[in-house]
Amino acid sequence: MSIAAVAHLELRRLRVRPLAWLLAALTLGWLAWRYLFLLDTFMKMQVKLAAMADGPGFTDLVAVPLLAELLQLSFVVVPLMTMTLIASDRRQGTLPLLLSTGQPPSHIVLGKYLAALCWLALWLLLALAMPLALAGSVHLDLDLGKLAAATLGCALMMATLAAIGIACSAFTSQAALAAVAALIIALALWTVNSGARAAGVEGGFLDWLAMSTHLQIMARGVVGTNDIAWFGIVIVVSLALASRRLADERGRR
Amino acid sequence: MTTTRVLLRMAGVARRRAGRVAVDDLNLSLARGEVLGLLGVNGAGKSTTLAMVAGALRPDAGTIELDGQDFIDRPEIGRQLVGWLPETAPLWPELTVREHLQASASLRGLRGKAPVEAVIERLALGPMARRVAGVLSQGQRQRLGLACALLHDPALLVLDEPANALDPVQTAELRSIIAERAAAGCAVILSTHVLAEVTAVCTRAAILHQGRLRHDGPLTSDADRQALDKTFFTIATSAEAA
Repeated sequence: MSIAAVAHLELRRLRVRPLAWLLAALTLGWLAWRYLFLLDTFMKMQVKLAAMADGPGFTDLVAVPLLAELLQLSFVVVPLMTMTLIASDRRQGTLPLLLSTGQPPSHIVLGKYLAALCWLALWLLLALAMPLALAGSVHLDLDLGKLAAATLGCALMMATLAAIGIACSAFTSQAALAAVAALIIALALWTVNSGARAAGVEGGFLDWLAMSTHLQIMARGVVGTNDIAWFGIVIVVSLALASRRLADERGRR
Repeated sequence: MTTTRVLLRMAGVARRRAGRVAVDDLNLSLARGEVLGLLGVNGAGKSTTLAMVAGALRPDAGTIELDGQDFIDRPEIGRQLVGWLPETAPLWPELTVREHLQASASLRGLRGKAPVEAVIERLALGPMARRVAGVLSQGQRQRLGLACALLHDPALLVLDEPANALDPVQTAELRSIIAERAAAGCAVILSTHVLAEVTAVCTRAAILHQGRLRHDGPLTSDADRQALDKTFFTIATSAEAA
Protein backbone atom coordinates (compact mmCIF):
# COMPACT_ATOMS: atom_id res chain seq x y z
CA MET A 1 0.00 0.00 0.00
CA SER A 2 2.64 2.53 1.03
CA ILE A 3 4.97 1.29 -1.73
CA ALA A 4 2.20 1.98 -4.23
CA ALA A 5 1.61 5.45 -2.72
CA VAL A 6 5.30 6.35 -3.05
CA ALA A 7 5.46 4.90 -6.59
CA HIS A 8 2.36 6.86 -7.58
CA LEU A 9 3.83 10.07 -6.18
CA GLU A 10 7.08 9.48 -8.04
CA LEU A 11 5.30 8.70 -11.32
CA ARG A 12 3.36 11.95 -11.00
CA ARG A 13 6.65 13.78 -10.60
CA LEU A 14 8.26 11.94 -13.52
CA ARG A 15 5.26 12.73 -15.73
CA VAL A 16 5.88 16.46 -15.51
CA ARG A 17 9.66 16.41 -15.35
CA PRO A 18 11.09 17.81 -18.62
CA LEU A 19 14.27 15.72 -18.31
CA ALA A 20 12.30 12.46 -18.55
CA TRP A 21 10.54 13.56 -21.76
CA LEU A 22 13.69 15.03 -23.25
CA LEU A 23 15.68 11.87 -22.60
CA ALA A 24 12.90 9.70 -24.04
CA ALA A 25 12.57 11.84 -27.17
CA LEU A 26 16.30 12.11 -27.84
CA THR A 27 17.11 8.47 -27.22
CA LEU A 28 14.13 7.10 -29.16
CA GLY A 29 15.02 9.44 -32.05
CA TRP A 30 18.59 8.11 -31.99
CA LEU A 31 17.37 4.51 -31.80
CA ALA A 32 15.00 5.07 -34.73
CA TRP A 33 17.89 6.39 -36.81
CA ARG A 34 20.10 3.43 -35.80
CA TYR A 35 17.22 1.05 -36.55
CA LEU A 36 16.92 2.40 -40.09
CA PHE A 37 20.68 2.05 -40.53
CA LEU A 38 20.62 -1.57 -39.29
CA LEU A 39 17.64 -2.33 -41.50
CA ASP A 40 19.35 -0.84 -44.54
CA THR A 41 22.43 -2.97 -43.90
CA PHE A 42 20.23 -6.05 -43.46
CA MET A 43 18.45 -5.37 -46.77
CA LYS A 44 21.74 -4.95 -48.62
CA MET A 45 22.94 -8.30 -47.27
CA GLN A 46 19.90 -10.20 -48.49
CA VAL A 47 21.65 -11.83 -51.48
CA LYS A 48 24.57 -13.02 -49.34
CA LEU A 49 22.28 -14.23 -46.59
CA ALA A 50 20.12 -16.18 -49.03
CA ALA A 51 23.21 -18.13 -50.09
CA MET A 52 23.99 -19.13 -46.49
CA ALA A 53 22.39 -22.31 -45.18
CA ASP A 54 22.08 -21.24 -41.56
CA GLY A 55 22.95 -17.55 -41.76
CA PRO A 56 21.93 -14.80 -39.35
CA GLY A 57 18.43 -13.38 -39.73
CA PHE A 58 16.48 -10.26 -38.84
CA THR A 59 16.78 -11.03 -35.12
CA ASP A 60 20.57 -11.31 -35.18
CA LEU A 61 21.22 -8.42 -37.50
CA VAL A 62 18.55 -5.89 -36.55
CA ALA A 63 16.55 -6.63 -33.38
CA VAL A 64 19.35 -7.73 -31.03
CA PRO A 65 21.82 -5.05 -32.22
CA LEU A 66 19.08 -2.45 -31.63
CA LEU A 67 18.76 -3.70 -28.05
CA ALA A 68 22.54 -3.47 -27.75
CA GLU A 69 22.28 0.20 -28.79
CA LEU A 70 19.60 0.69 -26.14
CA LEU A 71 21.90 -0.85 -23.54
CA GLN A 72 24.72 1.51 -24.45
CA LEU A 73 22.33 4.44 -24.01
CA SER A 74 21.18 2.99 -20.66
CA PHE A 75 24.59 3.63 -19.14
CA VAL A 76 23.92 7.36 -19.46
CA VAL A 77 20.12 7.55 -19.43
CA VAL A 78 19.40 5.41 -16.36
CA PRO A 79 21.75 7.34 -14.02
CA LEU A 80 20.22 10.59 -15.32
CA MET A 81 16.71 9.25 -14.68
CA THR A 82 17.46 7.99 -11.20
CA MET A 83 19.82 10.68 -9.94
CA THR A 84 17.06 12.87 -8.52
CA LEU A 85 14.88 10.12 -7.05
CA ILE A 86 16.13 10.52 -3.48
CA ALA A 87 18.76 13.27 -3.78
CA SER A 88 16.15 15.86 -4.80
CA ASP A 89 13.94 14.90 -1.84
CA ARG A 90 16.86 15.47 0.47
CA ARG A 91 17.69 18.78 -1.21
CA GLN A 92 14.10 20.06 -1.15
CA GLY A 93 13.52 18.97 2.43
CA THR A 94 10.76 16.57 1.40
CA LEU A 95 12.70 13.52 2.61
CA PRO A 96 12.05 14.28 6.32
CA LEU A 97 8.42 14.85 5.35
CA LEU A 98 8.26 11.40 3.71
CA LEU A 99 9.93 9.81 6.73
CA SER A 100 7.52 11.60 9.07
CA THR A 101 4.60 9.88 7.33
CA GLY A 102 5.78 6.69 9.00
CA GLN A 103 6.75 4.95 5.75
CA PRO A 104 9.45 2.34 6.31
CA PRO A 105 12.60 3.40 4.41
CA SER A 106 12.48 0.20 2.36
CA HIS A 107 8.98 1.12 1.15
CA ILE A 108 10.17 4.59 0.11
CA VAL A 109 13.07 3.06 -1.82
CA LEU A 110 10.93 0.34 -3.41
CA GLY A 111 8.22 2.83 -4.39
CA LYS A 112 10.74 5.06 -6.12
CA TYR A 113 12.40 2.05 -7.74
CA LEU A 114 9.06 0.82 -9.09
CA ALA A 115 8.35 4.24 -10.60
CA ALA A 116 11.75 4.23 -12.32
CA LEU A 117 11.10 0.70 -13.61
CA CYS A 118 7.75 1.78 -15.08
CA TRP A 119 9.48 4.52 -17.06
CA LEU A 120 12.27 2.20 -18.18
CA ALA A 121 9.78 -0.52 -19.18
CA LEU A 122 7.96 2.00 -21.38
CA TRP A 123 11.26 3.06 -22.91
CA LEU A 124 12.23 -0.55 -23.63
CA LEU A 125 8.81 -1.36 -25.10
CA LEU A 126 8.90 1.64 -27.43
CA ALA A 127 12.36 0.65 -28.65
CA LEU A 128 11.27 -2.95 -29.07
CA ALA A 129 8.15 -1.86 -30.96
CA MET A 130 10.28 -0.83 -33.97
CA PRO A 131 11.53 -4.31 -35.02
CA LEU A 132 8.36 -6.05 -33.79
CA ALA A 133 6.07 -3.80 -35.83
CA LEU A 134 8.06 -4.43 -39.01
CA ALA A 135 8.37 -8.15 -38.39
CA GLY A 136 4.63 -8.35 -37.80
CA SER A 137 3.64 -6.37 -40.89
CA VAL A 138 5.89 -8.06 -43.48
CA HIS A 139 6.00 -11.47 -41.81
CA LEU A 140 9.74 -11.59 -41.19
CA ASP A 141 11.14 -14.66 -39.50
CA LEU A 142 11.83 -13.68 -35.89
CA ASP A 143 13.76 -15.91 -33.54
CA LEU A 144 11.41 -15.23 -30.64
CA GLY A 145 13.44 -17.25 -28.13
CA LYS A 146 16.61 -15.32 -28.83
CA LEU A 147 14.78 -12.00 -28.85
CA ALA A 148 13.04 -12.82 -25.55
CA ALA A 149 16.38 -13.75 -23.95
CA ALA A 150 18.01 -10.57 -25.23
CA THR A 151 15.02 -8.49 -24.04
CA LEU A 152 15.14 -10.14 -20.62
CA GLY A 153 18.87 -9.39 -20.38
CA CYS A 154 18.23 -5.82 -21.44
CA ALA A 155 15.43 -5.41 -18.88
CA LEU A 156 17.53 -6.95 -16.12
CA MET A 157 20.47 -4.71 -16.91
CA MET A 158 18.30 -1.59 -16.89
CA ALA A 159 16.74 -2.71 -13.60
CA THR A 160 20.24 -3.22 -12.20
CA LEU A 161 21.42 0.20 -13.37
CA ALA A 162 18.29 1.76 -11.84
CA ALA A 163 18.98 0.07 -8.49
CA ILE A 164 22.58 1.30 -8.55
CA GLY A 165 21.32 4.79 -9.47
CA ILE A 166 18.89 4.84 -6.55
CA ALA A 167 21.59 3.68 -4.15
CA CYS A 168 23.85 6.52 -5.32
CA SER A 169 20.97 9.00 -5.07
CA ALA A 170 20.35 7.90 -1.46
CA PHE A 171 23.86 8.86 -0.42
CA THR A 172 23.92 12.47 -1.58
CA SER A 173 21.83 15.60 -2.00
CA GLN A 174 23.67 16.45 -5.23
CA ALA A 175 21.85 14.79 -8.11
CA ALA A 176 24.76 15.28 -10.53
CA LEU A 177 27.09 13.56 -8.10
CA ALA A 178 24.67 10.63 -7.86
CA ALA A 179 24.55 10.33 -11.67
CA VAL A 180 28.35 10.37 -12.01
CA ALA A 181 28.78 7.83 -9.18
CA ALA A 182 26.19 5.52 -10.75
CA LEU A 183 27.86 5.78 -14.15
CA ILE A 184 31.28 5.00 -12.69
CA ILE A 185 29.99 2.00 -10.72
CA ALA A 186 28.13 0.67 -13.77
CA LEU A 187 31.18 1.03 -16.01
CA ALA A 188 33.35 -0.59 -13.35
CA LEU A 189 30.95 -3.54 -13.17
CA TRP A 190 30.97 -3.80 -16.95
CA THR A 191 34.74 -3.73 -17.36
CA VAL A 192 35.91 -5.36 -14.13
CA ASN A 193 37.19 -8.43 -16.04
CA SER A 194 38.80 -6.63 -18.97
CA GLY A 195 42.26 -6.65 -17.40
CA ALA A 196 42.05 -10.37 -16.68
CA ARG A 197 40.80 -11.07 -20.21
CA ALA A 198 43.62 -9.02 -21.72
CA ALA A 199 46.01 -11.22 -19.76
CA GLY A 200 44.30 -14.31 -21.18
CA VAL A 201 42.58 -15.35 -17.94
CA GLU A 202 38.95 -16.36 -18.46
CA GLY A 203 36.23 -17.98 -16.39
CA GLY A 204 37.42 -16.76 -13.00
CA PHE A 205 35.67 -14.75 -10.29
CA LEU A 206 36.25 -11.47 -12.14
CA ASP A 207 34.47 -12.90 -15.16
CA TRP A 208 31.52 -13.82 -12.96
CA LEU A 209 31.56 -10.38 -11.37
CA ALA A 210 31.43 -8.57 -14.70
CA MET A 211 28.02 -7.46 -15.95
CA SER A 212 29.12 -7.97 -19.56
CA THR A 213 29.64 -11.72 -19.04
CA HIS A 214 26.03 -12.29 -18.01
CA LEU A 215 24.57 -10.03 -20.66
CA GLN A 216 26.57 -11.52 -23.52
CA ILE A 217 25.27 -14.98 -22.61
CA MET A 218 21.68 -13.71 -22.73
CA ALA A 219 22.29 -11.91 -26.03
CA ARG A 220 23.10 -15.35 -27.50
CA GLY A 221 19.64 -16.49 -26.48
CA VAL A 222 20.69 -18.45 -23.39
CA VAL A 223 19.02 -17.67 -20.06
CA GLY A 224 20.75 -19.21 -17.07
CA THR A 225 19.86 -19.03 -13.39
CA ASN A 226 23.46 -18.01 -12.67
CA ASP A 227 23.02 -14.88 -14.80
CA ILE A 228 19.60 -14.02 -13.38
CA ALA A 229 21.01 -14.52 -9.86
CA TRP A 230 23.84 -12.07 -10.62
CA PHE A 231 21.39 -9.34 -11.60
CA GLY A 232 19.17 -10.19 -8.62
CA ILE A 233 22.06 -9.93 -6.17
CA VAL A 234 23.20 -6.55 -7.46
CA ILE A 235 19.63 -5.20 -7.37
CA VAL A 236 18.96 -6.47 -3.84
CA VAL A 237 22.29 -5.20 -2.48
CA SER A 238 21.82 -1.77 -4.08
CA LEU A 239 18.25 -1.37 -2.79
CA ALA A 240 19.26 -2.63 0.67
CA LEU A 241 22.06 -0.05 0.80
CA ALA A 242 19.64 2.72 -0.22
CA SER A 243 17.11 1.60 2.44
CA ARG A 244 19.84 1.44 5.06
CA ARG A 245 20.95 4.96 4.19
CA LEU A 246 17.39 6.27 4.52
CA ALA A 247 16.95 4.47 7.83
CA ASP A 248 20.08 6.23 9.07
CA GLU A 249 18.65 9.57 7.93
CA ARG A 250 16.45 9.86 11.03
CA GLY A 251 19.46 9.39 13.26
CA ARG A 252 21.83 11.52 11.19
CA ARG A 253 23.63 14.36 13.02
CA MET B 1 -14.81 16.00 22.88
CA THR B 2 -11.79 17.21 24.85
CA THR B 3 -10.19 14.81 27.30
CA THR B 4 -7.18 15.26 29.53
CA ARG B 5 -5.51 12.00 28.52
CA VAL B 6 -1.81 12.49 27.82
CA LEU B 7 -1.11 12.10 24.11
CA LEU B 8 2.58 12.91 23.96
CA ARG B 9 5.20 12.16 26.57
CA MET B 10 8.89 12.96 26.11
CA ALA B 11 11.31 11.86 28.81
CA GLY B 12 15.04 12.60 28.93
CA VAL B 13 15.13 13.32 25.21
CA ALA B 14 18.49 14.43 23.85
CA ARG B 15 19.72 15.05 20.33
CA ARG B 16 22.97 16.32 18.84
CA ARG B 17 22.99 18.08 15.49
CA ALA B 18 25.87 19.51 13.48
CA GLY B 19 28.31 18.60 16.22
CA ARG B 20 26.54 20.39 19.07
CA VAL B 21 23.86 19.54 21.60
CA ALA B 22 20.59 20.72 20.08
CA VAL B 23 18.25 19.24 22.68
CA ASP B 24 19.27 18.01 26.12
CA ASP B 25 17.31 16.07 28.72
CA LEU B 26 13.93 17.32 27.53
CA ASN B 27 10.91 16.24 29.55
CA LEU B 28 7.58 17.33 28.18
CA SER B 29 4.06 15.98 28.00
CA LEU B 30 0.99 17.14 26.18
CA ALA B 31 -2.66 16.26 26.65
CA ARG B 32 -5.41 16.18 24.05
CA GLY B 33 -6.96 19.60 23.57
CA GLU B 34 -3.89 21.45 24.80
CA VAL B 35 -2.17 24.09 22.69
CA LEU B 36 1.48 24.38 23.69
CA GLY B 37 3.49 27.37 22.57
CA LEU B 38 7.16 26.48 22.23
CA LEU B 39 9.31 29.58 22.54
CA GLY B 40 13.00 30.14 22.26
CA VAL B 41 15.63 32.24 20.58
CA ASN B 42 17.23 31.11 17.32
CA GLY B 43 19.12 27.85 17.83
CA ALA B 44 17.30 27.03 21.06
CA GLY B 45 16.38 23.57 19.73
CA LYS B 46 12.74 24.16 18.86
CA SER B 47 12.85 22.81 15.30
CA THR B 48 14.90 19.77 16.36
CA THR B 49 12.37 19.06 19.11
CA LEU B 50 9.48 19.32 16.68
CA ALA B 51 11.22 17.14 14.08
CA MET B 52 11.60 14.45 16.74
CA VAL B 53 7.96 14.80 17.75
CA ALA B 54 7.02 14.46 14.07
CA GLY B 55 9.11 11.31 13.67
CA ALA B 56 11.51 12.84 11.15
CA LEU B 57 14.46 12.62 13.56
CA ARG B 58 15.35 9.91 16.06
CA PRO B 59 16.55 11.08 19.51
CA ASP B 60 20.02 10.05 20.67
CA ALA B 61 18.64 9.36 24.14
CA GLY B 62 15.33 9.35 25.98
CA THR B 63 11.87 8.13 25.12
CA ILE B 64 8.95 9.53 23.17
CA GLU B 65 5.54 8.01 23.72
CA LEU B 66 2.65 8.82 21.46
CA ASP B 67 -0.80 7.74 22.56
CA GLY B 68 0.85 5.35 25.03
CA GLN B 69 3.04 3.69 22.38
CA ASP B 70 6.78 3.88 21.81
CA PHE B 71 7.10 6.35 18.95
CA ILE B 72 10.85 5.88 18.48
CA ASP B 73 10.65 2.18 17.71
CA ARG B 74 7.33 2.44 15.93
CA PRO B 75 7.45 5.62 13.82
CA GLU B 76 4.64 4.25 11.64
CA ILE B 77 2.08 5.17 14.33
CA GLY B 78 2.72 8.80 13.35
CA ARG B 79 1.12 8.19 9.96
CA GLN B 80 -2.37 8.73 11.36
CA LEU B 81 -1.58 10.49 14.63
CA VAL B 82 0.79 13.31 13.68
CA GLY B 83 0.49 16.22 11.26
CA TRP B 84 3.67 18.27 10.82
CA LEU B 85 4.31 21.60 9.20
CA PRO B 86 8.09 22.17 9.14
CA GLU B 87 9.57 25.67 9.32
CA THR B 88 9.76 26.08 5.55
CA ALA B 89 6.98 23.99 4.08
CA PRO B 90 8.80 21.39 1.96
CA LEU B 91 6.93 20.74 -1.28
CA TRP B 92 7.46 18.90 -4.55
CA PRO B 93 7.72 21.79 -7.01
CA GLU B 94 6.46 19.74 -9.99
CA LEU B 95 3.12 18.85 -8.39
CA THR B 96 -0.03 20.94 -8.31
CA VAL B 97 -1.69 21.86 -5.03
CA ARG B 98 -4.35 19.19 -5.53
CA GLU B 99 -1.75 16.54 -6.47
CA HIS B 100 0.18 17.41 -3.32
CA LEU B 101 -2.86 16.83 -1.19
CA GLN B 102 -3.74 13.62 -3.03
CA ALA B 103 -0.17 12.34 -2.59
CA SER B 104 -0.16 13.27 1.10
CA ALA B 105 -3.50 11.52 1.54
CA SER B 106 -2.18 8.35 -0.13
CA LEU B 107 0.98 8.40 1.97
CA ARG B 108 -1.19 8.67 5.09
CA GLY B 109 -3.30 5.74 3.94
CA LEU B 110 -6.42 7.81 3.23
CA ARG B 111 -8.76 6.73 0.46
CA GLY B 112 -11.23 8.69 -1.64
CA LYS B 113 -11.45 12.35 -2.53
CA ALA B 114 -13.38 13.53 0.53
CA PRO B 115 -10.42 14.41 2.82
CA VAL B 116 -8.68 16.34 0.03
CA GLU B 117 -11.82 18.26 -0.92
CA ALA B 118 -12.58 19.01 2.73
CA VAL B 119 -9.18 20.54 3.40
CA ILE B 120 -9.25 22.49 0.12
CA GLU B 121 -12.58 23.93 1.22
CA ARG B 122 -11.44 24.63 4.81
CA LEU B 123 -8.27 26.44 3.80
CA ALA B 124 -9.81 28.10 0.72
CA LEU B 125 -7.23 26.52 -1.60
CA GLY B 126 -9.73 26.10 -4.46
CA PRO B 127 -8.49 29.01 -6.62
CA MET B 128 -4.94 27.70 -6.59
CA ALA B 129 -5.69 23.96 -6.68
CA ARG B 130 -4.35 23.58 -10.23
CA ARG B 131 -1.21 25.63 -9.74
CA VAL B 132 2.11 23.87 -9.35
CA ALA B 133 3.82 24.30 -5.99
CA GLY B 134 6.98 25.66 -7.61
CA VAL B 135 5.26 28.94 -8.51
CA LEU B 136 3.42 29.52 -5.23
CA SER B 137 4.26 32.49 -3.02
CA GLN B 138 5.78 31.82 0.40
CA GLY B 139 2.43 32.40 2.11
CA GLN B 140 0.64 30.07 -0.30
CA ARG B 141 3.30 27.40 0.23
CA GLN B 142 2.77 27.75 3.96
CA ARG B 143 -0.99 27.28 3.56
CA LEU B 144 -0.46 24.20 1.39
CA GLY B 145 1.96 22.79 3.97
CA LEU B 146 -0.65 23.41 6.66
CA ALA B 147 -3.29 21.69 4.53
CA CYS B 148 -1.04 18.62 4.18
CA ALA B 149 -0.58 18.59 7.96
CA LEU B 150 -4.33 18.81 8.61
CA LEU B 151 -5.45 16.44 5.87
CA HIS B 152 -5.67 13.27 7.93
CA ASP B 153 -7.24 14.93 10.96
CA PRO B 154 -4.27 14.15 13.23
CA ALA B 155 -4.47 13.84 17.01
CA LEU B 156 -1.24 15.84 17.33
CA LEU B 157 -0.57 18.89 15.19
CA VAL B 158 3.04 20.06 15.11
CA LEU B 159 3.49 23.55 13.67
CA ASP B 160 6.93 25.08 13.27
CA GLU B 161 6.67 28.84 12.71
CA PRO B 162 3.33 28.42 10.91
CA ALA B 163 2.65 32.15 10.63
CA ASN B 164 5.81 32.72 8.56
CA ALA B 165 4.93 34.76 5.46
CA LEU B 166 1.21 34.78 6.24
CA ASP B 167 -0.67 38.06 5.93
CA PRO B 168 -2.79 39.31 8.88
CA VAL B 169 -5.98 37.77 7.47
CA GLN B 170 -4.28 34.41 7.00
CA THR B 171 -2.74 34.65 10.47
CA ALA B 172 -6.19 35.19 11.98
CA GLU B 173 -7.46 32.22 9.99
CA LEU B 174 -4.56 30.11 11.26
CA ARG B 175 -5.45 31.01 14.85
CA SER B 176 -9.04 30.04 14.23
CA ILE B 177 -7.96 26.68 12.77
CA ILE B 178 -5.74 25.99 15.80
CA ALA B 179 -8.58 26.83 18.20
CA GLU B 180 -10.96 24.67 16.18
CA ARG B 181 -8.58 21.70 16.19
CA ALA B 182 -7.95 22.05 19.94
CA ALA B 183 -11.68 22.19 20.61
CA ALA B 184 -12.01 18.95 18.66
CA GLY B 185 -9.52 17.27 21.05
CA CYS B 186 -6.37 17.67 18.99
CA ALA B 187 -3.14 18.50 20.80
CA VAL B 188 -1.17 21.28 19.15
CA ILE B 189 2.49 22.30 19.49
CA LEU B 190 3.21 25.70 18.04
CA SER B 191 6.77 26.90 17.75
CA THR B 192 7.31 30.59 17.17
CA HIS B 193 9.50 33.59 17.88
CA VAL B 194 6.47 35.79 18.30
CA LEU B 195 5.25 36.03 21.89
CA ALA B 196 1.95 37.57 20.81
CA GLU B 197 1.25 34.46 18.73
CA VAL B 198 1.62 32.27 21.80
CA THR B 199 -0.43 34.46 24.13
CA ALA B 200 -3.20 34.67 21.50
CA VAL B 201 -3.78 30.95 20.91
CA CYS B 202 -1.90 28.80 23.42
CA THR B 203 -3.14 27.33 26.68
CA ARG B 204 0.39 26.58 27.82
CA ALA B 205 3.85 27.90 27.09
CA ALA B 206 7.28 26.29 27.25
CA ILE B 207 10.59 28.03 26.77
CA LEU B 208 13.57 26.17 25.36
CA HIS B 209 16.98 27.60 25.80
CA GLN B 210 20.25 26.05 24.60
CA GLY B 211 18.40 22.80 24.15
CA ARG B 212 17.02 22.65 27.68
CA LEU B 213 13.51 23.32 28.91
CA ARG B 214 13.69 26.43 31.09
CA HIS B 215 10.01 27.15 31.62
CA ASP B 216 6.74 25.26 31.29
CA GLY B 217 3.56 26.82 32.59
CA PRO B 218 -0.11 27.49 31.84
CA LEU B 219 -1.42 30.51 29.99
CA THR B 220 -4.89 30.77 31.38
CA SER B 221 -4.96 34.30 32.78
CA ASP B 222 -3.71 37.77 31.84
CA ALA B 223 -1.22 37.50 34.69
CA ASP B 224 0.23 34.32 33.12
CA ARG B 225 0.59 36.09 29.79
CA GLN B 226 2.33 39.09 31.30
CA ALA B 227 4.60 36.82 33.35
CA LEU B 228 5.53 34.89 30.19
CA ASP B 229 6.78 38.07 28.58
CA LYS B 230 9.05 38.77 31.52
CA THR B 231 10.21 35.16 31.85
CA PHE B 232 11.09 34.93 28.18
CA PHE B 233 13.20 38.07 28.19
CA THR B 234 14.92 37.07 31.44
CA ILE B 235 15.94 33.74 29.89
CA ALA B 236 16.83 35.27 26.52
CA THR B 237 19.04 37.96 28.01
CA SER B 238 20.72 35.49 30.35
CA ALA B 239 21.47 33.52 27.22
CA GLU B 240 23.14 36.46 25.57
CA ALA B 241 25.18 37.06 28.69
CA ALA B 242 26.22 33.41 28.74
